[in-house]
Amino acid sequence: MEPAEVEFLAEKELVTIVPNFSLDRIHLIGGDLGPFNPGLPVEVPVWLAINLKQRQKCRLIPPEWMDVGKLEEIRDQERKEDTFTPMPSPYYMELTKLLLNYASDNIPRADEIRTLVKDTWDTRMAKLRLSADSFVRQQEAHAKLDNLTLMEINTTGTFLTQALDHMYKLRTNLQPGEGSHSQDF
Amino acid sequence: MFVSDCRREFYDVIVTQRVLLLVASDVDALCACKILQALFQCDHVQYTLVPVAGWQELETAFLEHKDQFKYFVLINCGANVDLLEILQPEEDTYFFVCDSHRPINVVNVYNDTQIKLLVKQEDDLDVPAYDDIFRDEEEEEEEEDSENESGGSEPLEKRRRFEEEVIERTMKRRQRREWEARRREILFDYEQYEYHGTSSAMVMFDLAWIMSKDLNDMLWWAIVGLTDQWVQDKITQMKYVTDIGVLQRHVSRHNHRNEDEENSLSIDCMRIAFEYDLRLALYQHWSLYESLCNTCYTSASLKLWSVQGQKRLQEFLADMGLPLKQVKQKFNSMDMSLKENLREMIEESANKFGMKDLRVQTFSIHFGFKNKFSASDIVYATTSLMENIEKEGPETTNFIKALDSLSRGNLDKLHQGLDLAKKQLRAIQQTVASCICTNLVISQGPFLYCSLMEGTPDVKLFSKPVSLCLLSKYLLKSFVCSTKNKRCKLLPLVMAAPMDVEQGTVIMVGIPPETESSDKKNFFGRAFEKAAESTSSRTLHNHFQMSIIELKTEDRSKFLDALISLLS
Repeated sequence: MEPAEVEFLAEKELVTIVPNFSLDRIHLIGGDLGPFNPGLPVEVPVWLAINLKQRQKCRLIPPEWMDVGKLEEIRDQERKEDTFTPMPSPYYMELTKLLLNYASDNIPRADEIRTLVKDTWDTRMAKLRLSADSFVRQQEAHAKLDNLTLMEINTTGTFLTQALDHMYKLRTNLQPGEGSHSQDF
Repeated sequence: MFVSDCRREFYDVIVTQRVLLLVASDVDALCACKILQALFQCDHVQYTLVPVAGWQELETAFLEHKDQFKYFVLINCGANVDLLEILQPEEDTYFFVCDSHRPINVVNVYNDTQIKLLVKQEDDLDVPAYDDIFRDEEEEEEEEDSENESGGSEPLEKRRRFEEEVIERTMKRRQRREWEARRREILFDYEQYEYHGTSSAMVMFDLAWIMSKDLNDMLWWAIVGLTDQWVQDKITQMKYVTDIGVLQRHVSRHNHRNEDEENSLSIDCMRIAFEYDLRLALYQHWSLYESLCNTCYTSASLKLWSVQGQKRLQEFLADMGLPLKQVKQKFNSMDMSLKENLREMIEESANKFGMKDLRVQTFSIHFGFKNKFSASDIVYATTSLMENIEKEGPETTNFIKALDSLSRGNLDKLHQGLDLAKKQLRAIQQTVASCICTNLVISQGPFLYCSLMEGTPDVKLFSKPVSLCLLSKYLLKSFVCSTKNKRCKLLPLVMAAPMDVEQGTVIMVGIPPETESSDKKNFFGRAFEKAAESTSSRTLHNHFQMSIIELKTEDRSKFLDALISLLS
């Protein structure tokens, strides 16, 4: 999967906005949205929120986990544990990037939030690399990793599967095959 | 007619239509265009943008597009001539004119249907009353008819009535002639002087504010539009200060969150700050020394074209305690200890050297860690991008590049503009210095005249109207400081520069005299027209400002003679 595809999936998450226009309920294939009344908060998917924000039609309210105190706790806990801790949202990285790019004026202390999320991401990626490395070295048959988000899986996914594939090929070629099947497809 | 409710009579009308935007080539128009484009993008209005540099281009663009559009928006063009006569539009086309040129043509003011003027009513417009200029032609015909209808009575009565009627008719004719004479006088007084009103960018920002769609970005463009009017000396100091006050209220409304430590904005967000800044051009992107040499105000007051002047500059720097090595390097690399109190230090020393207005009220913008620009920096950069003589494609690329450089995302274009602006300012100062040293500015009686020769370095830069105007204003200021002749100090200036060598044309600009409290009213527009008529010179009054014309080099001397006799 491309990172852009993962971001596309992330845009389906719901976020709260405060519109400044009024519109009746709209019926889309994925579900109903609205009604929109000026000044009243309403939940919409992120793709609509970003579009409305760019057209100056709403104000975004950051999700409740996007707060300096909470993110500091999450980061500290991630650093303490050896395994992966559960993240506040399965798309925390994409949402942070989207919201901070387009609506940083609606999010208080945006720079600190960006740094904290990046720190958490770096810690988790380091753990992932470590675990992949030990998996390959010890030639395990299977591994189980909890609490990984799609974006993180996506970064190592292709590499890991292809590397293991190569290793499997190399290993099977080492053993003298019964019936000397020398051509493996 | 004047539009009283901008939102209902202008924006709500065009929001559902396709619109043609005709934008003049100056920075104020560019800023107004940017604000309007931002509003259009939010509301998905379909529009076509056509940059126009003069009347001919306006007419061509109109003829090309008149079948497809019913609504035209003209920015910084079209208010000072009779639009209906020039364009000959159909009955159902509407023109919205947002122009800072004054005086507004009376036909545009009193036309009720097709021409709507987006102009603030507070500007003192002094439009003559309707009855003084227009008179119902039909009244007269009716009276004459009724005179002829009366028939069928005794011959004696008839003759008496006939005599009475003759007397009445002659009285009416005399009244009519008097009225026409008075009308000509009123129109002459009204249209004699050209000046500028509120910046179009500020009018557009007002529209956005009324609709509650104003943003910090739009506010910044309005500030740049106003600063452009000030840099080009188009408005009086009073008006500039008043408009700055108006904008300052908006700035504090949008930018008050910087004070609050708890919830301060991300560093990437754009902030505007009010500053009582130095009047030195581009000083934060240049070295302080270069900026002092190339800003008109300091160069003219210190008389930097002479050796004496250079010595005074060194004295000035020594008086402030700034070492030459520091002052000649890039401003950002100067010692922090020197930069901290720079403004106050310079102001104090400047007062000693006779430069009382070295500080001016202005705004600056700040986004990211590296980017801080003052409003006048942006004005100089955008002007030089727009009038870049290097042709890089079709004619409108310069305009589009300058328009793009106003967006925050196009910093590379802005930096290119700043480099071009530095070149332009240096060229202006060198040309001014050489003109004064070689006494090229001669008094012709009612005005001063200066003509740039073919082979002067950088003369190509001055074939564009805005650059030439800037050069002439700087030249006049420097001349006033250099001459001892009291009478010459109060004269206006006419400046000529070669425009196109192959076609043999010259561009000529007239600017009002330089006085302390001048009202910036320019009479050269009408004077040029009359002189051209009387000598039948081949002139082209293409520019939206009437005081800028092109003429053939051969006709130059007879045109000047006619101008001298007209004005003396």
